Parts: sequence; structure tokens; C-alpha cells
Amino acid sequence: MTALQDVKNAVRSRSIHVCYVNVGSCNGCDIEILACLAPRYDIEQYGIYVHNNPREADILLVTGGFSPQWEDKLKEVWDKIPEPKAAIAIGNCPISGCVFNREGTYLDPPVRKHIPIAAEVPGCPPRPTEILEAVLSLAPVVFKDYEERGE
Amino acid sequence: MKKTVDVSLPIGPVHPVFKEPCRIKCETSGEYVINAELELGYVKKGIERIMVGRPWQEVMFLAERVCGICSVIHNYVCIEGMERINGVAVPDRAAYLRLVVNELDRIQSHLLANYSYCYTIEHETLAMYLLNLRETAMDALEYITGARVTCSYIIPGGVRFDLSPEKEQKLRTMIDHIDSELTRFVRMFEGGSLIALRSKDVGTFSREEAIESHAVGPTARASNLDNDCRLFHPTYQKLGFESVLLDEGDNYARIMLRFLEVFQSTQLIRSALDSMEKGTIRGGGEIGGGFAEWAGEAPRGELTYTIDTDEHGRVKKIGIRTPSIMNIEACVHYMIKGVHSSADVTSTYISSDPCIACNER
Amino acid sequence: MASSIIWYLREFIRGEWITKFFTVKTAPLVTPPHFRGFPTLTDRECTHCLACMMICPAPDAIEVLETDGVWKPVVYPGHCIRCGLCVEACPEDVLTAGELLSVQKEDQTSFESAFHLTIDPVLCSRCGNCAVACPINKEIDPYLGGTGTAFSDEVIMRITNGEMRIINPEKCTGCKTCEETCSNHAIRVARVVVGVQEGWK
Repeated sequence: MTALQDVKNAVRSRSIHVCYVNVGSCNGCDIEILACLAPRYDIEQYGIYVHNNPREADILLVTGGFSPQWEDKLKEVWDKIPEPKAAIAIGNCPISGCVFNREGTYLDPPVRKHIPIAAEVPGCPPRPTEILEAVLSLAPVVFKDYEERGE
Repeated sequence: MKKTVDVSLPIGPVHPVFKEPCRIKCETSGEYVINAELELGYVKKGIERIMVGRPWQEVMFLAERVCGICSVIHNYVCIEGMERINGVAVPDRAAYLRLVVNELDRIQSHLLANYSYCYTIEHETLAMYLLNLRETAMDALEYITGARVTCSYIIPGGVRFDLSPEKEQKLRTMIDHIDSELTRFVRMFEGGSLIALRSKDVGTFSREEAIESHAVGPTARASNLDNDCRLFHPTYQKLGFESVLLDEGDNYARIMLRFLEVFQSTQLIRSALDSMEKGTIRGGGEIGGGFAEWAGEAPRGELTYTIDTDEHGRVKKIGIRTPSIMNIEACVHYMIKGVHSSADVTSTYISSDPCIACNER
Repeated sequence: MASSIIWYLREFIRGEWITKFFTVKTAPLVTPPHFRGFPTLTDRECTHCLACMMICPAPDAIEVLETDGVWKPVVYPGHCIRCGLCVEACPEDVLTAGELLSVQKEDQTSFESAFHLTIDPVLCSRCGNCAVACPINKEIDPYLGGTGTAFSDEVIMRITNGEMRIINPEKCTGCKTCEETCSNHAIRVARVVVGVQEGWK
């Protein structure tokens, strides 16, 4: 059914619904994601729609190092998202904990230990142009031939 | 401690209008909200514990990342508190440059708060206009300091970079652009009757309730309570600063107060650029041992740092009191109680401009 | 109701709005040159003085490594917070980020570092591990004893008559190896940094 798979690839790379969850960040990365929605760096022109509902989302954006309250809750939010899905880590905190990774902290980085992450955007916080470049280069690839990969 | 109620409405951590996770549990009877409770703790990182034993060049970056929206004022108050421990002096030009960057940060934070409120009322036209105007303020910050958010511009003894004459000219054109566009948007906000239906007389907060719940910042100034920390700061007093007050104490008054404060900030930046003279920007000076306490005016209210250092300038104990600790209490326990419809809970909560990351550090 | 419709009509029938509606383009995805990005290497030679590693506030963000006899600083993007302190602190201008180096030359600003050693006499167990671990001690006196004793008087610290004595504190480079080796947290290194501008003193 390769024609059907081509149609699926084409549709899934042009229309992506995004949900973001803040597992313990300082809000810097969250407002840079909001700045992507502004008319200056318009993210909706590429078909990417940011609402905040896990049940209707394709991609989950994770910001923040992992704080202790989210240990049971992030897995539940991830399980609520229907297949096909992917998670992207934005900022330094989900990759390595940023400046908070010292002794005496409550965080438990990296987030990769808890849910599977498909891509990472480093920076503290990353500029909206960097976030957009990462998301746009990822859009055709992340859901390509999803059924045949068996994930 | 569980309580059994008739209808309990949880507005949960992951929500379309919330930028940060917090849970509000409302007790309703029909549409009328009787009581509300708040559950926090989703973003606690333990920053004050990490800061112990570190010198200023590491504490400064941790203090900035307490909150990404109001990061310049955290930097400002932390460094000024450390300077007051043993009296490090700051040259005049550096003091005015600090004021310029602080007011630019205040402009972008107020525009973000108002964007958030208009988005919650579903008035997307005005929300997107305000968000686009905020980009001009972020461009100005990037032009002066090199970074949009978490600028790390203020160091003990002065600032990091100087402002050349071309940059000053470009900054003045950007400020004029913000002024002219914002007058149009305020007229749109004032004249909209649907906005008035959803904002006037919703979430009222009288002056006695503000005093009782220790509200600070624009949440209190919209109820005629004058507690602006910039009234005792020496650099602001040189430029003749007076705080803005309004009387009604509902959602509409809080949003209008933030617009008026943006106009006041552009005026302050212009007078600071006019009074600046050529000079040094770093005065040197080592941070010694001792104790100091200093307060500043964040975009959301009064911010206090209590710092205790050992003889080489490393932190022994530090306490941060952010404005959202008081404001969220005032919002949930006083403003949401009398609200007529449970659809107004989110807009009242957003109009008091909460910052959960500041609250929990 | 009527007045708000009039405001919206006034807003959307302006000539400026109509021309913008038909000719607008979103901003191109370019990062401006004055943005302070991740530090990159210039062509200057690195003398492995490690000043960048001493001033970096983020853990594990920058390391100075040697490949084929050439020393170079390596920045890890997942940890670096792009503060620019390493760019300003390097005495040889090996790193650059945005317009930092040219602005630094124009303003003639720099950071001066000093390192102070303190030993808490209550917590110290006089084991001598800090003197053995110190890399400067090893460079000065290769015959350093296993319990921290030394014949040479040029070392930074050594055990003499049962006490750990600091003899030449000015040679310390602030690497904090002694602090990490001490199991009681008795010895501590203070990295004191002051931002100065030429023409002030």
C-alpha cells in the first residue's frame, strides 16, 4: 500500500498538532515557544497548530528539568497521546539540567530516562529561529513510514 | 485533609491558557463559585539550596533563571544586594544603563501579561497585536545586551557592555515605535464593549482586602494601594518617579494599569538616555563578607533578596521572596470567591499575572 | 455594540493595513550577528591557562583538551548557557561569540581573577590527600610523598609536623581538585572575580 503510505507521509508532514508540558522550567523556553506563535515568526503558516490538549496532539514539547512531582504524571500524559507520536526536548534543562545540575537540587535530569525523546534543541533558551529550524527539519522525517517502522 | 463538596471543578496543570502548571480546585454551586483552593509544587527546583557556597559569578546566573519572564530584575536585585554588603560604588552611566535595561524588561513583561489576558478572553486580534509589539522590545534588548531572555547584563560594580551612539539612536526609534502603536491598541481595548462585558466588575478586589492579603504590584495598585519599591530607589528618584494608581480593582483596571505603566516606562527610558553622560561603566570592587537585604520592583510586585556571605564573597544563606507568593494567595482566596460564573475563573486568575516559577523557585 | 464595530472598521480600513495585508512576509529565519551564540574558536593559539574553565558557571560546559599536541577549548552545546564569560576571560582571545570581542576591545573591559585557599582546622583530618592531588604540587616536586609530605619549599601546601600548611598560596590556579578530593569538605577554594575597565584606577 505504498500509495496510501505516501499520502499519509505527505499529510503528516504538513499538519502537526502540538502540546507542550512544563516539567519544571524557569519559563524562558516557554515564552520563546510563544514567541514562535507571534506574527513575526509565524509557526501556523507551516501547518503547525499549538493548542494544549494531549488527546489531540501529535508532538509533545517538553521543557524543564524533571521535578519530583512529575514522576508519575508525565508518563500518564505521554500515554494519553494517540499514535503516531514523538517528543521533542527544548532547551538545556531536559538534556542535562542546565545550571541546576548541582548537588542539593531536586531535579532528576535528563528527561530521556523517563519518556523516549526524538530530538533535542540546545540553548538556554534557544532562539525562536533555532526552534523553528529544528521543528521544520524534523517535520517530514519524524512520521515518515511510521507504520513500517513498527513503533 | 479531604473535604466533600457538591461539585468540584479542577482546572488542572496542563490547560490551554496556563503557561505553567498549577492546579486550582473550585467548589461551585451551579455556575457560582463559592470557594477555591490552590495546589502547587510542580516546578520546585531548590535554587536557594544550590546557591550555598557559590561566588557571585555563579549565583547571578542561578538568580536569573528563577523566572525567565522577569529575569533582569532578579539579576538587578541580587547584585545590588551584594553590593550593599560592603559598599561597592557604581558609576553614574552604569546606573542609568541598568535602569534602561530594567524598564525594557518591564515593558515586555507587561505586554506578555496583557497578551495572556486577551488570549484567555479569546480576543485573538488584540492578543496577536500585543505579542507582535513585544517583539520590538525583545529586539531592543537583544541589540543592547546580546540575548533576548536571561541577559546577564549587570555585574557588581557596573554593567557588562556600553551603549554606542548608533545603538542609542536605534533604541530611541524603537521606543517611539512602541509608543505610537500602543496608543492605538489601548483605544481598541477601551472602546470594545464585549471586552468590557467580560472584564468590568469581574473579580473585584477592594482596598481593605488588598491590605489584608498583602497584595503587591499592579494587583494592589489597581485597588488604590500605593506600594511601589521604585519610590525609594536612588536612580529612579533622580528622574522624578511617581507611581500610577487606579481605583476600581476589577480585571479591567488591572489591565489598564499595565498599559499605563508601559507608557511610564518609555518615558523613563527617554529621560534616562537624555541624562546619561560619558564615563566609565565598571567601577571594580570586590564583594566582602556580611549581611544585606534589598528590595526592588519586579513587573509583578516587590522582590526581596536577603543575602549572607562569608569573607570571600561566597553565599552562606540566601532567601528570595518573590511577588507571586503574595499575589497568588490574594487571587485565589479573595478574587475568585465572588465570581459569578466558573468561566471567569481563568480570566480572573490570568489578570492577576501569576508566575508559578517565581513562586516555587 | 455599535461603537466597537466602528473601532474595528476604523482599524481594518486604514491604507497601511490593507497594503500590509497583501504584501506581508514573515521574517526570514536568520539569527542576527549581534546575538550571543555558542562560543566558537578563532585561529589564535590556546596556552591551556584554563581561565575559561575556572570562570564558567555551568557544570561540564567547557573543557580544554589536547589532540595531537594542540590544545583547544571544547564547548558542549547541551550544557552551555551562552553567557559569554569565557569569551571575555580568555587572555589570548581564542573564543568568540557574537560581537563580544569587538565590544570588549572598544570598552577595554576585562575580568581579573584571584584564588584563595582556606582550611577548616576542625574538619581537617590531616590525611594529606589534597597535597597529593594538587597538579601544581606534582609539577613542582615530582618526588611528593604519598601522605602529602615534601622536601621542596616551592610547593603550594604540604604536611609538616602533623599539620597541613599552606606555603605558597599565590601559585594556586583555582582548579578545585583538592576540594573534590577532600572527604571532609575541609579545604575550600574561593574563586574571586572582579570586572574592571582600563582607565578607571
